[in-house]
Amino acid sequence: MGINPIEYRAWKGVRSAQKSRLYVIARSVFRHKIRSIGVIALLALGFLLLHAFQIIFTVIAPHESLDAQTMYDYMGTGGTFAIFAILLAAVVTSDLIADDRANSSFVLYFSRAIKVRDYLAGKTSAALLIMSLLCAIPPVMVAVASMVTQTGDDYAGSAEVLGRTMVAGALATVFFVPYGLMMSSLTKRKSYAAVGTFMSFFVMIIVAEIFAEFDPAWRIISPADSISFSLSWIFGVDMPPYVDGWALAGFMTAFITVPAAVVYLRIKKQVVGG
Amino acid sequence: MRGAEEHSALDPPKDDSILLTARDVTVRFGSVIALNGFTADIPRGVIGLLGPNGAGKSTFIKASLGLIPRDGGTISVGGLDPQTQSLRIRDDIGYMPEHDCLIPNVSAVELVSYLGQISGMGKRDAMQRSHEVLDFVGIGEERYRLVKSYSTGMKQKAKIAQAIVHDPSLLFLDEPTSGMDPNGREEMLDLVRRIGATGKTIIVSSHILQEVERVCEHAIIISDGRLVRDGKMGALMAGEEGLFSITVRGDAKALELFVRALGEACEIVKKVDEGIKQIVLSARGCGNGKRIFALAMEHGVQVRSYTPDKMSLEDVFLQAFQGGGSDGH
Repeated sequence: MGINPIEYRAWKGVRSAQKSRLYVIARSVFRHKIRSIGVIALLALGFLLLHAFQIIFTVIAPHESLDAQTMYDYMGTGGTFAIFAILLAAVVTSDLIADDRANSSFVLYFSRAIKVRDYLAGKTSAALLIMSLLCAIPPVMVAVASMVTQTGDDYAGSAEVLGRTMVAGALATVFFVPYGLMMSSLTKRKSYAAVGTFMSFFVMIIVAEIFAEFDPAWRIISPADSISFSLSWIFGVDMPPYVDGWALAGFMTAFITVPAAVVYLRIKKQVVGG
Repeated sequence: MRGAEEHSALDPPKDDSILLTARDVTVRFGSVIALNGFTADIPRGVIGLLGPNGAGKSTFIKASLGLIPRDGGTISVGGLDPQTQSLRIRDDIGYMPEHDCLIPNVSAVELVSYLGQISGMGKRDAMQRSHEVLDFVGIGEERYRLVKSYSTGMKQKAKIAQAIVHDPSLLFLDEPTSGMDPNGREEMLDLVRRIGATGKTIIVSSHILQEVERVCEHAIIISDGRLVRDGKMGALMAGEEGLFSITVRGDAKALELFVRALGEACEIVKKVDEGIKQIVLSARGCGNGKRIFALAMEHGVQVRSYTPDKMSLEDVFLQAFQGGGSDGH
């Protein structure tokens, strides 16, 4: 310390609205994630394997219009799309809450004017943004590339499929994130959360396969199959006859809302309930 | 948006020096009662919150921040209820937790700036301010290192920097010198003193009495979740009226005769032989002191000091726990 120590000075600035502070969290998480080697590798590999060839194929293959069946075949079949989405969700969400639990840094957030829902909204938005780089934006790019290079005049029909693609991309983006966040909130170790997320999806897929031997309707408990069935509904292509639409809707809703509620309640309990 | 020109929730009203009031506050964690009818009026200034480990100091701070729910009673921070109006209060409160809570994989400047932004500062503003407060707390070039590489003392400084980055009116410091070496403690206490000198209210929770005695103007002693004693530091440490402390030096024989003569003139409450031909006496009923000086001269001893008896905070603390609590606890 020098002869004249630096004295405390008051801050004369203007505070932002409290509701807008979740963007600070979202921006910080996004910047951190987008620099992560694992995320970059998965995004690059996923883009190459899932989307790059599709874009090239779409551009060079003659087609009259953007076709819903083509988009469904690209996004909803084969399971590769879902597997990459699961992997990315596991990597992106694993540390979002687990690290704050491990560091006991919740208190740094919640001693400030921020609510649990804003904290979660900030973290979730960043995760969704990263997920959209694999699950939503490339399919839209494929759809736009197809529209630009179509030979026919049915742009209205193509635009409709483009809209369906956006909805499908949004669903694929949202579907796995709450579950990953839930796993992250259950442990203080991000590795456990990542492996737990991926393995529990895998277990659900295996269990669905086993029960499908007796009744194929059980396939809806497989996240990969349930998202495939949902995409077929979104694109308006034929859904397998054994799939009950209401059961599928119930499973999809539960798969998103129950983990989200669990995360919220766990953090609320830890932070506010001591 | 809240402009800087607006009054904050905790700005001092002209006619009220009480910032925080607690009435019959009860907080339970399962079967453990952390606060048990805690009642106190906490004025503005630098306030010491004293008590043994597990007394309920941290629980009271968390309840005041609205971080934990109360099971009973009321708390008012600048007239606002932290349980229902926490967001209005927290922009004007800084909190330095006792435990390790820093995000390890970022630098101090990034961390403090990030938390400043969460407190509502603009990005550029937060970065500039984080450099200012890190300068103030004494974190130099180390601010660019990852927090996980910091020593305990530096972590404590980073914790206080994040607590003041948004320039709060009220600061809660929970065991600010915990785990620090003597030099670090001195620096931390100096920081507390300097922040307090700017007119902010600082509530320092500690179980180290000497620290509180040195920096605080007012002390609140808490035990088993209840108020034991509180008051201005001067009033708490003032001894009994008419009780004086006398230090005398001389030969052993002369001292013995002096003490005997003094015992006949007034009541000797306490006698401490310091072993270097010097004794310290506490005596009451000695009048204006002329008699003492006359006796000293008569017996050939030297009066080194003659002052009204004053207690240390440790004496106050011990006395409070021996049944002298304001609520009879």
